[in-house]
This record gives sequence, C-alpha cells and structure tokens, in this order.
Amino acid sequence: MHIPDGYLSPQSCAVLGTAMVPAWYVAGRRVKRVVTTRFVPLLAIGAAYCFLVMMFNVPIPDGTTAHAVGGVLVAVLLGPWAAVIAVTTALAIQAFFFGDGGVLAFGANAFNMALVMPMVGYAVYRAVAGRVALTAPRRAVAAGLGGYVGLNAAALLAAIEFGLQPTLFHSANGTPLYAPYHLSQTIPTMMLAHLVVAGVVEFVLTAGVISYLQRADVSLLRINHASLAEAGVAPGPRLGWRWAAIGLGVMTVLAPLGLVAPGRAFGEDAPHDLDLRKYHLDTVPSGLRHYAGFWHNTLFDGYDFANDKHPTVGYLLSAGTGIVAIAVVVLAGLALVRAFRRVRRHSARRIGGVVV
Amino acid sequence: MTAPATVAANGTPGWLMRSEVGLCPCGCIGRRRKGGFVEKTLTGATTLMSQAIFADDIATQPGLLQSIDPRVKVLTMLALLIVAAFVRNAAVLGGLYVGTLALAARSALSVGFFVRRVWLFIPLFTGIVVLPATFSFVTPGHVVVPLGSWFGSNVGLTEQGLVAALLIVARVAVSISLVVLLTLTTPWNRLLGALRSLGIPRMFILVLGMAYRYLFYLLQTVTDMYTARRARSVNRDRDVRSGRAFVASTAGALFGKSYAMSDEVHQAMVARGYRGDVRSSTPPRLRPTDGLWVFGCAVVAVLTLGVDHVLGA
Repeated sequence: MHIPDGYLSPQSCAVLGTAMVPAWYVAGRRVKRVVTTRFVPLLAIGAAYCFLVMMFNVPIPDGTTAHAVGGVLVAVLLGPWAAVIAVTTALAIQAFFFGDGGVLAFGANAFNMALVMPMVGYAVYRAVAGRVALTAPRRAVAAGLGGYVGLNAAALLAAIEFGLQPTLFHSANGTPLYAPYHLSQTIPTMMLAHLVVAGVVEFVLTAGVISYLQRADVSLLRINHASLAEAGVAPGPRLGWRWAAIGLGVMTVLAPLGLVAPGRAFGEDAPHDLDLRKYHLDTVPSGLRHYAGFWHNTLFDGYDFANDKHPTVGYLLSAGTGIVAIAVVVLAGLALVRAFRRVRRHSARRIGGVVV
Repeated sequence: MTAPATVAANGTPGWLMRSEVGLCPCGCIGRRRKGGFVEKTLTGATTLMSQAIFADDIATQPGLLQSIDPRVKVLTMLALLIVAAFVRNAAVLGGLYVGTLALAARSALSVGFFVRRVWLFIPLFTGIVVLPATFSFVTPGHVVVPLGSWFGSNVGLTEQGLVAALLIVARVAVSISLVVLLTLTTPWNRLLGALRSLGIPRMFILVLGMAYRYLFYLLQTVTDMYTARRARSVNRDRDVRSGRAFVASTAGALFGKSYAMSDEVHQAMVARGYRGDVRSSTPPRLRPTDGLWVFGCAVVAVLTLGVDHVLGA
C-alpha cells in the first residue's frame, strides 16, 4: 500500500499532504498534553515498533507480499493520536531511507496509513469493545476487528487515489499520465487482496498481541485505558459511536465518486442499453426482456430521482437512505436478540438452572 | 579459532557485507529446506541493516553530492522530483535518468550498484503492475500489436497503453534514483539537521532521530528472540498455528521491552538535563559550490520543462 512516486500526480500529492498538516499539528498538541516530556522516547520507540511490524511480510498468492501496518495496534496501546505520529515517523524512515513509498507521495501515504487507518480502526475497536474488562477476550477480538477495518479503509482510499488519476490526468489522445487503472479496476483489485489476505494478517497480529498482553502483562494495556478496571465494568466516555458516525458520514459524502468511474459494472446494464451487435444478437433475449422490468417500484431507481437531473444529490440521498435502512434492520435484529435473551433468562430462573 | 574480522577499505567489516553460502535450492546438496516467512523476514532485516551501514560509509566518502550542503540538497532534490512528476514525455524522463547515473558516478557510487539498487526492487515490480494496462481492455485506443478479436472487436496492445506504461516506469525510476542519491550521499544525522532547518518541528525531528536509532536495537532484540527460539526447538517447527502464535507473542513481548526501554531512556534524558525543549547545533554556512549546484539544478529544471513542452506528451 506504500504508494511510490510517479503513480500520483503532483496535484493529488499536494492536496493530501495539505490535508495532513492540521492532523499532524493536532496530534503533536494532543500527545504532548497527555504525556509531557515522556512522550519523546515513547513515540520514538512506538515508531520503531511500527516499522518492525511493517517488515513482517506474509506471501500472498498473486506473487506479492502483504504486511500488517500495526497502526491500530499502536492506537489501542498508546492512543490514536500517538499512533498518527508513530506511523508517520515509520513512513518517513521508510520513504527517506529505504525507498519504500515515495517522498512526494508521503502526504498521501500518511493520510491513508497514519491518519485514516488508526482513527477508523480505533473507532471500531471502541464500538466493539464497549466497556468490558481489560482482560476480556472480546477486547482482543475488538482490536483485531479494528485492525481489519482500519487496514481496509486505508486500502480503499489508496484505490480511490489511484483510480482517479487516469480520469483527471490524461493527454489529448487518452494516454494516462500517471497510474493507468480506473476506479472500476483499482477498487476490486486492492480490496480483494486486503479483504482476503492483508486484513486477516492485520487481524491476527493485532488480536494476538492484545491477547498476549492480557495474559502476560496487563499493565501495558493500562497506558491507554487508565480508567478501566482489570475485571468488571467501568464507566468511560463512549467516543466510539461518534467516530463511527463520522466515518459513515465521510463515506456518504464520497459516494458520488461512483459517478466519476467510467464504464459500467458488468452485467448491470438495462436491456435497451445493451450493445447487441457486440454479442452477435439481433434482439434482446426474451427472458431478459420479460424479467428486467419485474420490480420498478424502488424509491430511487438507479440511485437518482427527478429523472437524473441532479446525479450527485441523488447519490448522496441514496447513500443516506441506505444507511438508515441498514440501521433499521440492524436495530430490529438487536431488539429481537435482546428479547430472545430475556425470555431465556426468565425461563432459566424459573427452573433454577444456570444460564450458560 | 575464528577468522579475524576483515575490515574493508570503506570501514564496514567484511563479514557483515559477505553474502552467506546457501544450500543449492534444487536439493542436490543436502536436504531442501524451505524457510518460513519469519526466517525470511529476519534475513531481510539483517540485509537492510547492513545496507544502512553501507550507506553511511558512502555518505562519508569524497564526491560531488557529498560536498553539497544537505539543506540545499534536500530542496533541490525535492524540486527535481516535482519536475519529474510534471514531465509528460518518456524521452525527457530518459534524459533525466541518464543525468542521475552521471551524478551517481561523480559521487563515489559504483554505477552498477546504483542501477541494481534502483531497478531491482520497485521499478521491476512496477513494470509487472502496469503490464495489464497496455492491453485494450484497460486502456482503450489505437491497437498497435493486435492479438486477435474478442466478440468482433480487435484486442491487443494499444499505443496509449504502451506509452502510459513506459511513462510510469520511467517516472518511478527517476524518482527513486533521486531519493536514493540523496539518502546515500547524506549521513542520517545531517539529513535530519537539514529537515530541521527547513522548518519541520523539532519534536518530529527528535522522534525521527531516536526512532531510527532504536530501530536497530529493536531489530537486534527480535533477531535474538528468534535465535533463542530456534536454539530451544529440537526438530523443525512445522506447526503453522504455533508459528503464528510465536509472531504475535514476539510482537507483544517486543512492545513490553520497548515500553520498559522508553522509560529508561526517558529517565536517562531527564538525568542529563532534558526538560522538554530541544537544542540543536547551528548549521554551517553555505558555500559557493552550493550556489553553483542550485544554478545547475535550476538550468536542468527549466531545460527539462521547456523540452517537454516543445515535444508534448
């Protein structure tokens, strides 16, 4: 995921680099306020630690290797802002000294791996872990899930950055000037490798380290969880949901990116849009014609309304509606589970048995 | 008896630079043994370490780029990187690449080593990545190498795809060459000093410098932990699950060790008078050669962009 120089246009690099400046500033201020003079050696060693984690390459089937970033791990152990600085430093050493990741593209790499990854991953971790005890297995799983989601969020951003290049920067005869692949090619390629392999590596590493520390040295987990008791439930601020909401909001705003993607998803064309001559056909196959119009009562047919006059607005509205619909389904499911549990508890109490 | 450590002329001990004699992978000598990814990573880490030490040797030798002030070098290399990013013509990028080779030759770098260092890793990988982009499926356009037809339309390598692939590989090669030239000819501490005087906050520089220093210490710790495990195992460990558990436990134990060490380092810093602010030595004054170098880079930049503008994409 380390983008080398030459893949992104200087304009893209400048935009992403500028976006990182306030993040670095805030990270510096936040971390300094929390741990005062102690933070310099702590962060330095955190950064060296991140660098080492990135060196553990696991071979993946397509001939390249995948590695964990460890950004979410550091976020869980030292806090998300400390992770911003630690991963940034590790990336700087890699870019300047070992030629891994570009110098011009440093801002883009930092945006994906040092800002979005720890923040998204930490939000997922907080949301899943809730306020369970420090030694609870759920905490390790939550950290692993955070790593998985965080890494995939970073990979998705990298894929979008790559995929926008040929659309935005090409010469008069259509020759791409920078990365040549379109969004419809970069997103499936990047996401397949990261959802299936690299994300799993990140999950195993993050969850494994947390569960090792739960067994071996809980005091290290207390650095970032000072208010949390070792066993039992302790109160704490519930930041997780807020960050999850912010993440969802960003994704909603990014939804119209699909409009920039040239070409259509294979097999999703309406029958009258099919290029029949390409497939040596004279008419639309009868079955396809018959069933294509089977369900036309959707609210936003084809993610638009008002006959596609405002495609961007249509996309945004569709994204928002989709989230609400999914939320309703999830909440209904949760309510069902809770109701089912209550029934079981009642019946168990009546018999005097133990709920397992 | 151990053989005396031979010290090469450049100061790096010979035994560190020597590549290990490996068993023939075809299995004609001894039994073929496939190393696990942990072992491969550690071998890679050791190679990295020897490379870094080697780089520090080159940085102290006399040469053209070594004599330029690091601040000037960082700024001019960044400017040249931006110029290379704006170039739209592959021939112009080729010219720039020849320029970096000439610079390497004038800076006490063996050209063979420099070319290998740049081409072995990323651009070759880049070439494989951009290969599919030459086909008409990905980059539509004028088909120059037809490969048959697919549902009635001609498919093959397109002119646009080939040019785009060439452009990317050339641009990546030039960019990496420039960064490698900068880092190979500048000692790490002077590079950090240059970044500091260019306005990067002191705290970041301090963290960066210490991270780089302790990176090697932690690397050594990991290697030791792995050697200790190997010394304790009687047979080859084939269990994937225990290997995975070992990696996670190593990473966890490493975090514990790092945290304890950061505490010790902090106490040592406080004992030596650290109160939260950092002082750095004043950078040396610029010399006439630095001015000449800036002028030369400016001429190259203007010429490159001018020629690129005339030739077009």
